[in-house]
Amino acid sequence: MLIHLLFGNLTLEAIPFHTPIIMGAALFMALFTFAVLLLITITGNWSYIWHEWVCSVDHKKIGIMYLLLSVLMFLRGFSDVVLMRTQQAIAAGSSLGYLPPEHYDQIFSAHGVIMIFFVVMPMMFALLNMAVPLQIGARDVAYPYLNSLSFWLTFVGAMLCNVSLVIGDFAAAGWLAYPPLSELYYSPTVGVDYYVWSLQIAGVGTLLAGINFIATIIKMRCKGMTLMKMPIFVWSALCAMILVVLAFPVLTVTLALLELDRMFGMHFFTDFAGGNSMMYINLIWVWGHPEVYILILPAFGVFSEVVATFSQKKLFGYTTMVWALAVITFLSFVVWLHHFFTMGAGADVNAFFGIATMVIAIPTGVKVFNWLFTMYKGRIILTTPMLWVTAFFTTFAIGGMTGVMMAVPPVDFQVHNSLFLVAHFHNVIIGGVLFGYFAGIIYWFPKAFGFRLNEKWGIWSFIFWVLGFYLAFMPLYVIGLSGFMRRTNHYPDLVYQPYLIAAALGAGLIFIGMVLQIIQVAVSIKNRKALRDHSGDPWNGRTLEWSVASPAPLYNFAVLPTVRERDQFWADKKEQAKGAIHPLDLHYQPIHMPKNTPAGFIIAIFSGIAGFALIWHMLIPGIVGFLGILSTVIAKSFSTDTDYYIDADTIRKTELAHIKELG
Amino acid sequence: MLASNIGLGMEMVARMRKVFSRWAKLLLISMGCLLLLSLAGCKANLLGMLNPKGLITYEERKLFFNTLALMLIVVLPVIVMSFTFVYHYQVSHRIKDYKPNWSHSFFLESLWWGIPCAIIVVLAVLTWFRTHKLDPYNRISAQSQTDPLLVQVIALPWKWLFIYPKQDIATINYLAIPVDQEVEYWITTDNVPMSAFFIPQLGSQIYTMAGMRTRLHLLANETGTYEGLNTQFNGEGFSDMHFAVQVLDSATLEHWFSDIKKSPNHLTEAAYGELLNPSIGNEPQFFSGIASDLFQKVIDTYMNSSGAVHPRQDFHHPVPSKEAS
Repeated sequence: MLIHLLFGNLTLEAIPFHTPIIMGAALFMALFTFAVLLLITITGNWSYIWHEWVCSVDHKKIGIMYLLLSVLMFLRGFSDVVLMRTQQAIAAGSSLGYLPPEHYDQIFSAHGVIMIFFVVMPMMFALLNMAVPLQIGARDVAYPYLNSLSFWLTFVGAMLCNVSLVIGDFAAAGWLAYPPLSELYYSPTVGVDYYVWSLQIAGVGTLLAGINFIATIIKMRCKGMTLMKMPIFVWSALCAMILVVLAFPVLTVTLALLELDRMFGMHFFTDFAGGNSMMYINLIWVWGHPEVYILILPAFGVFSEVVATFSQKKLFGYTTMVWALAVITFLSFVVWLHHFFTMGAGADVNAFFGIATMVIAIPTGVKVFNWLFTMYKGRIILTTPMLWVTAFFTTFAIGGMTGVMMAVPPVDFQVHNSLFLVAHFHNVIIGGVLFGYFAGIIYWFPKAFGFRLNEKWGIWSFIFWVLGFYLAFMPLYVIGLSGFMRRTNHYPDLVYQPYLIAAALGAGLIFIGMVLQIIQVAVSIKNRKALRDHSGDPWNGRTLEWSVASPAPLYNFAVLPTVRERDQFWADKKEQAKGAIHPLDLHYQPIHMPKNTPAGFIIAIFSGIAGFALIWHMLIPGIVGFLGILSTVIAKSFSTDTDYYIDADTIRKTELAHIKELG
Repeated sequence: MLASNIGLGMEMVARMRKVFSRWAKLLLISMGCLLLLSLAGCKANLLGMLNPKGLITYEERKLFFNTLALMLIVVLPVIVMSFTFVYHYQVSHRIKDYKPNWSHSFFLESLWWGIPCAIIVVLAVLTWFRTHKLDPYNRISAQSQTDPLLVQVIALPWKWLFIYPKQDIATINYLAIPVDQEVEYWITTDNVPMSAFFIPQLGSQIYTMAGMRTRLHLLANETGTYEGLNTQFNGEGFSDMHFAVQVLDSATLEHWFSDIKKSPNHLTEAAYGELLNPSIGNEPQFFSGIASDLFQKVIDTYMNSSGAVHPRQDFHHPVPSKEAS
């Protein structure tokens, strides 16, 4: 009895000792974790890690932690790619490949979930944290402690997803877990529960981060920065976060209803006793379509910053850029049905949603032309961020084009669920989102870490990524048109095999690209002295984040800036020649700062315990988890020791050091 | 500082160009090879919508290429402009025409709100009419005067059941249909999650859902054997849920009907119960004498169910042991 209260449905049988691939992966993860922990212990850095990182409420550090999480999960998500691509390259004709469906189905489900929720989303929040407060001239986000909580909830969600690899299994129902397949009758194992609870926990983190950034952007802009003077990246972040706040509650409710079905035998989405699985498919896409715009809008913002900076020219058509963002934000909520034209809705409904989808192409096209004409009559410096932008134009244009083609319902009747669709959304998510985020990371890397990334290795990784991308996904368009379906485990027709081998080779090139990126970072760390960004403005930037030292001091701005125009820092640099106030003559005042707190981390850990308990129906750990969350929140709300002042002397010293480095 | 940045930029560009000229060639060659491979593949064995055998697929392919052409009006200039601008306006080219503050042009911005709008309007009109004309629930008015042949389709755990109610016969994983005569499909699911019924060379796909009936009209224009399949992932047997589609002239089809009618296997309720058991990679089976109103009864089973127990609880899911496929 006690055992059951403690362990619920969890037994030792849940660990797949007999599956070498999984045990190997588990062993690797365990060794990796152990090595990291050992390294921290040997170097005696526990206190530093705990106080300066785990408890940190500094947006710059939280941004770096988001980035680390994203990179780690990228490796995990990409190992799924390797498995899937090799399986499909092998399993032609009479061969069944080496992955039986029950594994393969988990792998493609996990791939989607990990890449979207635990790679791209954290990478987005990394960029937002690295850039937004600095760009609006703020000292931190509106709610620094909430920011820490958001990160740790995302982290715990990702870890829960990783645990499923070893203890139990993961969902084998696709990345959106359509019922009735994801219902208890068809998926009796804990896989879907892992899916639900890791997304619920991470989803709460995302929602809180969304609220946080909206408040930050609305309330914490520096003096003079009206909405229409915000850098366009901030606009894109604002639009994306509005989407987060409107869309993520839908996801939370939808997954909660699915879990009610599974846990308590309810019938929201079952295929019997009055359940309606079509409702789930509608709801999940009411979240899911805005979700892809949540991902792409900040990438658009990055392109706007990068293109203007490296063309050494003002962004073209700022006002239309903002309106285009707003229109996309709105439209992204009225197109969800294009994900299931084949459900049998009438022609009126299908045509309406098809046309609404196409309309999004207009503001998107406008943005592309504005970027092109930002380069026109500029002076372009082809650094790696700019290279990624260059690759983006063609890739995204192709992805957008195939997107509009699939928005025509009768065309979708042919290509729905095929590899044409798979090629399309990888085309926009890799070619649009990921290329943009890579550009953004390289662009803001000096601001976050204090040194630039090595360009040579960056160029090589860029080349492999782009070549790999085209080799991996263009063949998929072709076989998608010839009726090859996504999620296929094996296929009798040998005609498809050369294309899938090409795709596998493409994935191999991308892998080399990733390795080169890792080398790039390693080489840059080694040569960080030579690559040191002394000026704080390595790219001849235009916006406020480049006006402070790299990495930005704890308080960001010694004196809060005042803004009179859009590219204020660019204008300041022009004016400085005429003689502005010298930083030495500035009068520094003590700065009010939030204190670090472990509360966010602790709440997230208890959420992880509660989530794990819910997955395995463990009563006692579940109660412990919930009480833990509750009591931490209460204890934290009674704490008055939440802030402190950095005295003027320290600030003066820090600023003088920066001025000295400027030379 | 500006000067040093430009210097850095130029140095990079020079290095880049060296790397690029080599890689651009390689890229072009590999893309060319890929294209050739695709074309060779197509010529030898065009599949799916690229090789239509029915009116609907033919129309859909036409629409596909029309849309592609319309989109290319914008996409091609974007691609060309992106490369030429990036190349032409590099710092190292020392173009005199540098306008760092030029950031607005009413005319230009109207142009690229206007042209995409015009294209989307054309596309929207096309979409509206084509979507209505190609609505899978509609009769295909063209050509045939005769009534459509009715086939009831039930997606079962990883196999397809086709019932010909008027002919009183049924098949598993094998569909025989007439050439040049419209076929109306009524589609549902039993004991398998949502699936999708699709014959790429004949026309549209449509979901199959328990307790519901979706409908599809298709018209085959050429005799031959085509592939049909499930496109919606529905569990372990998904990849093997294929069926053969045989398009026959009407005389041969009538002959086939009468052949199957002689089959000793009857699709009684008990026989149907057997089919509800999950299985993978079934060979075609043929039945005569169909339990009355079977299709509607299957839908009603789900529509009228209540309580916590799945109406097909006795037929275990997912399949515990796999048959060879």
